[in-house]
Amino acid sequence: MSVDVEVVETAPSAGGAPAGRGAWSLSWHGLRTVAVLELRQRVRSTRWKAALIVWFLVVGLVTLLATGAFSILAGDEMGGESFGGTVYSIVVGFVLFLGLLVAPTLSSGAINGDRNAGTLATLQVTLLSPAEIVLGKLAASWIAALAFLVASIPFLVWALAGGGVYWLSLLTTVLMLALVLGVVCAIGLGFSALVGKTSGSAVLTYLTIGAITAVLPIVFGLLVPVTTTTETVRVWDIESGYTWEETKAPDCEWRTVEYEVWHSERTWWLLAPNPFVVVADAQPLNGDPDQLAEDGNMLAMLQYGVRYARTGDTGPFDWCSGYMGESGTDSPVEPVEVTDQLVWPWGLGFDLLLGAGGVVIAVNRLKVPTAQLPKGTRVA
Amino acid sequence: MTPDGGIRAQGVRRSFGPVHAVADVDLVAAPGRVTALIGPNGSGKTTLLLMLAGLLTPDAGVIRIAGADPVAQNYVARSRTGWMPDVFGTWDSLTAREVLTTVAAAYRIDAAGGRARASELLELVHLSELADQPAHVLSRGQKQRLGLARALVHDPDVLLLDEPASGLDPRSRVDLRVLVRRLAAEGKTILVSSHVLTELDEMADDAVFISRGRTVATRSVADGDRPREWRLTGLDPEALAAWLAENGTPHRKEADGPGMLVELTGDAAAAALLRSAIEAGIDVSSIAPAGGVLEQAYLALEEERR
Repeated sequence: MSVDVEVVETAPSAGGAPAGRGAWSLSWHGLRTVAVLELRQRVRSTRWKAALIVWFLVVGLVTLLATGAFSILAGDEMGGESFGGTVYSIVVGFVLFLGLLVAPTLSSGAINGDRNAGTLATLQVTLLSPAEIVLGKLAASWIAALAFLVASIPFLVWALAGGGVYWLSLLTTVLMLALVLGVVCAIGLGFSALVGKTSGSAVLTYLTIGAITAVLPIVFGLLVPVTTTTETVRVWDIESGYTWEETKAPDCEWRTVEYEVWHSERTWWLLAPNPFVVVADAQPLNGDPDQLAEDGNMLAMLQYGVRYARTGDTGPFDWCSGYMGESGTDSPVEPVEVTDQLVWPWGLGFDLLLGAGGVVIAVNRLKVPTAQLPKGTRVA
Repeated sequence: MTPDGGIRAQGVRRSFGPVHAVADVDLVAAPGRVTALIGPNGSGKTTLLLMLAGLLTPDAGVIRIAGADPVAQNYVARSRTGWMPDVFGTWDSLTAREVLTTVAAAYRIDAAGGRARASELLELVHLSELADQPAHVLSRGQKQRLGLARALVHDPDVLLLDEPASGLDPRSRVDLRVLVRRLAAEGKTILVSSHVLTELDEMADDAVFISRGRTVATRSVADGDRPREWRLTGLDPEALAAWLAENGTPHRKEADGPGMLVELTGDAAAAALLRSAIEAGIDVSSIAPAGGVLEQAYLALEEERR
């Protein structure tokens, strides 16, 4: 038997189909086909609906408890103070926390689960490109995650109505939450293509989220000794020779001392990928830390914190005004003005790169014909 | 046979680590004919079909599917191939109709065309009544029929059916046979792997036997020139045996019954034997081929391997 290669080369393409579509070719039709298939599969499983209802109730309960607790506090002590900042922070933080828990379950079984069920290959043999399958699945899991976010919006609006938070924050918060959830879905999808077992890909997704949420800030903390250097700085200090036995308040004077200065501006970027930082930092900056603390707006305080870290307080320092009464107000040391350079674009950029990496891995893994199979898996 | 039609595979190999799933397979399946792919469990049938379907890269060898190379021209090859896998997974929450319209959309058929095609195929595999039931309520045989419909959605030139008859009731088997014959008559190339050899006897034109990942034989089912065993029974088995011995016809006694097995070449030889038996006054109560052609060939190959 001989195979005539020349005949093959000139073989007409069947049914007017394009001679070839690469792994990355995309069409709206293909994307929609996969996304609709995935959503139909998911929406019809009652588990998902139940999860959405439980989510709504839990977020509602947390909002209610937070509102109740803080309106009582506000009523007792401050009288008429707005409680919105605290409740808003709690609700946003809680929604993000739950979202980070739920989003991996939506996507981390999308590819290996289908492979185990024998339905992945039936899509791969069709004329869908790998990119259409992967991005369609990503779109479906993202839409499902957004449904959870949408279910939380009433509570965010409620917290906003409590006052004390700039309304534009709602827009940036929801947008950032949506993007972060999309990134988590994409990371889950990447692991789902990489690992044979759905439990394995879920664990790896959680570990990755854990790394950017907890491990990087811990590394930031552990690096403090490394980023701290002994420097000669000017300080506005209590006059030398003051004995603390005099009835007169001390005067302040400039001194030059050797001091350990923490250069947090060198490692602030370790905090940036944290989803909570991304969400907090994207809101309009309110530069007055005292006001924030009074409002109990933890989200804004987090933003202030990372901006402070990015600015880096390298002196001169004011060591004196705290001991003074009235006369301390004329301190020549300017209070640290936190930078208005944004932190979130760096963090979000990094997170988006992780998500894009997940998509690229998944597309490469779905290319047919495959040369290699993940261990312990079948093609069909 | 046109030079670029059908399925051609030459020297195809594929191993998974140390396991040589497919070691050396040559296979030709011609358009308009049904080719059976026969081999024991673990002989590499499914792996071979995965390579033919364009899902798996062969380590070596050349494959052409309706003229297209599934490695270099994967998209073209895919557009011409209909593949029905052995392990059957389906989207459980979708109805039978939605499964077919989804696959139609995946083959870039527009929505209206997809709906029409789905109805047509549901009719063809007798699932119209269950069309709007979720796929998970279908029985194994019904899912199998849905799988066949799914492989046919884009009207492929080449059909790869992996164990299509497993789980089917007798009625559905007959329907499957009729359908496969009809598709072959339309000029499609059909490759069927199965264990049910008697089933393949009535369905297939050609047979390719593979064992331990190698092509061990290629036969034509309709080929009457090959000797095969016939089974004779007489009212008096002793007399029949005596006559056969006297006649000089090589024969042996059936291991599990009263019949005698005689190797004959073609129907004419059988008719001649029967006539001479009657002329000799032997009461022959039945004469028929013993087992199917494929079964005999398969068992003969098994013998050779021992």
